[in-house]
Amino acid sequence: MKLSRGAQDRKRTFLLITIPVVILFFLFNTLPLIQGFIYSFTNFKGYGSYDWVGLRNYRDLFTDARVGKSYLFTFKYALAGTVITNVISLILALGLNSKIKGKSVLRGIYFIPNVLGGLVVGYIFSFIFTYILPAVGQNLGIEWLSSSMLSSTGKAWMAIVVVGCWQAIAMNTIIYISGLQTVPEDVYEAGSIDGVYGWKKFWSLTFPLIVPFFSINMVLSMKNFLMVFDQVMALTKGGPSQSTESISYLIYNNGMSGGQFGFQSANAVLFFVVIVAISVFQLIVTGKKEEQL
Amino acid sequence: MKKHMKAAAGFLSVSLAAIAALTTGCSSDKNADGKTRVEIVHYKPEAVKAFEALEEKFNATHDDIELVIDSPNDAMTILKTRFIREDYPDIIGIGGDINYSNFLDADMLMDISDYEGLSEIKESYLRTDKELEFIPMDGVFAVPYMANAAGVLYNKDIFQEHGWRIPTTLDEFYQLCEEIQAEGILPLYFGFKDTWTTLAPWNAICVDLAPSDICSRVNNGTATFAEAYRPVAEVTRSLLQYAQPDPFAYSYNDACTAFARGQSAMYVIGSYAVPQIKSVNPDMNIDSFVFPGSNDPEENILNSGNDLQWSVMAGCENKEAVYEVLDFLYEDENIQTYLDDQSAVPCKKGDFELPPMLDGMKSYIENDKMADYQDHHYPAEMAVDAMIQTYLMDESEDALETFLAKFDTDWARYNRDLIAKVQKFYGEHPELLTEGGEE
Repeated sequence: MKLSRGAQDRKRTFLLITIPVVILFFLFNTLPLIQGFIYSFTNFKGYGSYDWVGLRNYRDLFTDARVGKSYLFTFKYALAGTVITNVISLILALGLNSKIKGKSVLRGIYFIPNVLGGLVVGYIFSFIFTYILPAVGQNLGIEWLSSSMLSSTGKAWMAIVVVGCWQAIAMNTIIYISGLQTVPEDVYEAGSIDGVYGWKKFWSLTFPLIVPFFSINMVLSMKNFLMVFDQVMALTKGGPSQSTESISYLIYNNGMSGGQFGFQSANAVLFFVVIVAISVFQLIVTGKKEEQL
Repeated sequence: MKKHMKAAAGFLSVSLAAIAALTTGCSSDKNADGKTRVEIVHYKPEAVKAFEALEEKFNATHDDIELVIDSPNDAMTILKTRFIREDYPDIIGIGGDINYSNFLDADMLMDISDYEGLSEIKESYLRTDKELEFIPMDGVFAVPYMANAAGVLYNKDIFQEHGWRIPTTLDEFYQLCEEIQAEGILPLYFGFKDTWTTLAPWNAICVDLAPSDICSRVNNGTATFAEAYRPVAEVTRSLLQYAQPDPFAYSYNDACTAFARGQSAMYVIGSYAVPQIKSVNPDMNIDSFVFPGSNDPEENILNSGNDLQWSVMAGCENKEAVYEVLDFLYEDENIQTYLDDQSAVPCKKGDFELPPMLDGMKSYIENDKMADYQDHHYPAEMAVDAMIQTYLMDESEDALETFLAKFDTDWARYNRDLIAKVQKFYGEHPELLTEGGEE
């Protein structure tokens, strides 16, 4: 079948629009990825000459205690962060979607943390954790608050979770609000005739209808939390005693300023595979639960 | 449809142009007006004012050379990122530390032994650079510019008020701390939240108690850290009892601020902290003394290393212009410009006005009783600073044993390629092991 001239023109236009994006994506995303993959088989320091070392970097990854610790920390952080963020932002979204006064203003205010840069927020919270919270703890006689959370190997990660969630909640709330707005009013009307109220109304009517938004939120926040970097950089720089080194932070720190470019490239490749696997898994699991009206 | 096509084609050409600009963004050596361009990147952003003044002065007096001095934050990361892209400046100003050893080992620096200004540099600083070579090299690859010194800074006013004297042995130092505590004053303040600050006391004690070539000795298999660093680790830990509670909660900035406000009488840090302290309290009366790590005053030496030195990149094509820039930087007047801005020790021979806070260390500098920072030999990715922090926070019985054992195993792990290289070299040149190897 021969296409008309107009249709052909259209096709070519679309092609012309796509090609630059593909080139840009390839240059700035795919190419570095491939380069990193190649470097992961070398002992490249980031400069100068290097040797091929085969799979040594990958073997080392599984025996390096520091890398292992950073994976543990990152997963602990991502799980806690994802759960807390999604619970709080769903509650916030329910509140902000109801007919209350000044909800546009409130929505604006709740969105501010997302607009502020991660480093700025980190430095502000760093001051709060170092000086303000311990002072409050000492005055109220709360033992576990009276020393800085950031200097304790057991509590520093919680401080980072607090800051990470504080920032992440804004975006998730917006997505939940837009999800809640897609739920048609007549579903609730039908429900109220059947006598469904309160918790049951949320659980059997609202939630199933916003599962697509729930799954996208889970995937997005899990991925964002796994790649945590700014908060660690600003709050603890991986300390105390390397207890809050996230994978991204370790890759950056030892790959760039330390001389482990090759080894950390291997780490980055592994991390990439892990993130892809988790995202696919999440999409499959939550995808099964989606309901269509 | 034609309109769409045009718009899309326009978009395509703009983005292709952008890509072309990004991928060919290397600097050329000649300007549009025919001047030779010399680019310096150095890692002392705190000295940006001094270097801006020098840059301006140079460009005003030279018609044929355009000097550009970059003082970025976190320059080492920026430099390494540029090296990955194979985009090299002409001169780099870095410290005499492991990065220098690595760049040298990677054949990135030019042999500048024909630079005439070298004869003007103090011997001990050139020797320090020699010791940083993993494998003995022929030639000179760096010109030391400024050195710094680390030890104990003290608040002169508080000391004079109470009539305290400067300690020369470790026991005297402990005694002094007890006295200060008895007066209700905090003897020391630490900013151990920033892990690198743990290296300040560590290095100052190392030069007194551990052999200066311990790292090379471990690399060629004739010593262990477990043995050499045991006393160093013990003394470092003993300082905690004289510091504020929970020193791991406070950063370097916090500690500088606290010391500047008189919250502690002493601060174990390097001379490089003085500008920061003065920025909080410009009128503060600061002096310094050498950390007495040993009970034998003869063993106590000043911890001093090359804080800023110039190296020419191997690929540089304008050697003459670069030497002219170096000559300019080493003019007495211009060194003084830097000294007035930063508290440092010039590496050039001659009579310079030293900053007053180095008074207590002056005799050591003049008598050349100095040894380099041992962390200049530690690989950055091994994160010895974080290991020391972990050790200091570890309150279990066997903390010391854990730390020392980890030091040796981690050292072997992170220096695997280097140790193999060094041992291969000395296997081929066993005669150097007895003389040069243990420099």
